[in-house]
Amino acid sequence: MDPMETPSNDRADERAVRQEWRHSMDRTADLKAAGDPTDPTVPAVAAEPPAPTTAADVPAAPAAAPEAPAAATSSSGHPAHVADPRDLVLAIRGLRVSFSGNEILHGVDIDAPRGGVVALVGPSGCGKTTLLRSVNRLTELAPTASITGEVQLDGSNIYDRGTDLNLLRRRVGMVFQQPNPFPMTIFDNVAFAMREQAKTRPSRSSLMPAVQDVLQRAGLWDEVKDNLDRNALSLSGGQQQRLCIARTLAANPEVILMDEPCSALDPRSTARIEELIVQLAGSLTIVIVTHNLAQAKRIGDYAAYLLNGDVIEQGLAQQVFEDPTEQSTRDFVSGMFG
Amino acid sequence: MPTRLSDRGGVAAAYAAGGVLVIAVTVIMAWLVWQGISTISWDFLTTGPAPGSLEQGVAGGILPALVGTLIVIVFGMLVAIPLGLGVAIFLTEYRQPNWLAKGTDTAIDLIFGVPSVVFALFGLAIFSQGWLSWLSNPVGDAGMATAQSFFCASLMMALIGLPPVVRSSQAAILGVPNQQREASYSLGKGRLTTIRRIVVPGARPGIATGIVLGIGRIAGDTAIVWILLGGAVLQSPPDGWYLPWNLVDFLRSEGSTLTTYIYFSSPAGEGNSPGPAYGAAFVLMVVILFVNIALIRLSRRKIGKR
Repeated sequence: MDPMETPSNDRADERAVRQEWRHSMDRTADLKAAGDPTDPTVPAVAAEPPAPTTAADVPAAPAAAPEAPAAATSSSGHPAHVADPRDLVLAIRGLRVSFSGNEILHGVDIDAPRGGVVALVGPSGCGKTTLLRSVNRLTELAPTASITGEVQLDGSNIYDRGTDLNLLRRRVGMVFQQPNPFPMTIFDNVAFAMREQAKTRPSRSSLMPAVQDVLQRAGLWDEVKDNLDRNALSLSGGQQQRLCIARTLAANPEVILMDEPCSALDPRSTARIEELIVQLAGSLTIVIVTHNLAQAKRIGDYAAYLLNGDVIEQGLAQQVFEDPTEQSTRDFVSGMFG
Repeated sequence: MPTRLSDRGGVAAAYAAGGVLVIAVTVIMAWLVWQGISTISWDFLTTGPAPGSLEQGVAGGILPALVGTLIVIVFGMLVAIPLGLGVAIFLTEYRQPNWLAKGTDTAIDLIFGVPSVVFALFGLAIFSQGWLSWLSNPVGDAGMATAQSFFCASLMMALIGLPPVVRSSQAAILGVPNQQREASYSLGKGRLTTIRRIVVPGARPGIATGIVLGIGRIAGDTAIVWILLGGAVLQSPPDGWYLPWNLVDFLRSEGSTLTTYIYFSSPAGEGNSPGPAYGAAFVLMVVILFVNIALIRLSRRKIGKR
């Protein structure tokens, strides 16, 4: 039908390896791995041939990805962009969030391996967005919020005292549901994160290479290169959302949180964003909340299913969507509710 | 239950209300223009009141009054704008501690509601203190101050110009979508940067509206001028008052504004010469209108090309 459906063997390999890893570990070993990646008790990933995959569950592979990360394979046999699936860039442990005493998340554990795409799915009101916003500490902007538990970013808890909030939010960027570019020019939107860090305001020409690079990575450069001084709000919804991604990339994050980034977009723009997400994975980690199960299947490497503030099931996306262990997950992914 | 008939009645009443307002304003404006425009001449705008004009009504021009109005506007707003914007940001973005926010809210409402003559009277008590004589002039060696000067009037004007700036800015700041703030935070920007780069620029049109309303209040106030600027309607400013080394002395002296000039020269005042009164009223209206248009235009941000 379109390039999105093209099967990719590289992706299939990568998937198999990750699934392998999932199967080889139980939850406790997983926790240990988060604390100490070199722990010898954690079983090594066995070298088994890739599991057969069908075309239907192969995720969206960009047809013309200029730097398609999946194409590169390291000597160890892992896909280059997930050097070690036990290397968790993000490990959420026992996260509880309540607003005015009303608990939304009841002790949530989520793993995000470095370079992967983690899809958070679940019915409305299950706490997906709250979970996402707790990872760059936007939740606490609400004065009634109370948060306990840990969110480990590269092994250190972001809720520790003395965490530099501004640095954290540069490391963990966010793309919102509604495209929300600032009412500025396209250039200024992208340069926003780059400016003001420096003591002196950097000149436009000194920022230009970085702005171009980021817009190229967001797949927007060719459409806007002649109009960098146009109002960002004059772009289409899909372009605005890619601009928001570019703006986030400009802060050079390790993780990007995406809160239903395509729900306000038409199918064509959605396909472009999905393509972009798959391209970006590898060089960074993406945690995406989505209402769209088909989308979660297309782009997710890992998936977590939330229901009423609890994680019901998580693991490789393929497993969660194709062969869930919990009845509730099965009902949800088969479209019984949600 | 609204029937079709009562519905029509409502529509008719709404039309009538709008119509009455439009007619009233049109009549007032037309009257002002008709009465005032014949008085307007280059001389009227650029000369001071003629000497000895007290007996024959007000002859000569309105230059000192016009200058006086502009001075109290500029100096009043110089205080009111930063203060008002600061208060608005405090009330919307911080609101901590709560008692201070509530107190500020009440204070703004009070200033908005209390007639300016009350503040003028209070100003007289304060500014006549000897240690504040640098704002006006000392009275002999009585250890008091005259309390009548452009400085004193402008400071009180700042107070009455403040509430519209605060309320308008507040509404505009609240109108900046939260998404924009969160986007800025998510890019690793702190609160202050977010306010400076996102919130205040986004609220600019509303802030400008507040400034326009504040200027309108200041330009229209008469009580503060009579009490804190003095009734020196017929007094022309000294030559070269605008020179930097004369300016401070000038600002410490008494003066007049268009509003006091209008009152003075109207049949209700001492001058009993409605012609110049209408002329001055017309000029005041044009000044306000001009400021309105200029500020609203300036506040509209043009982003990039097109």
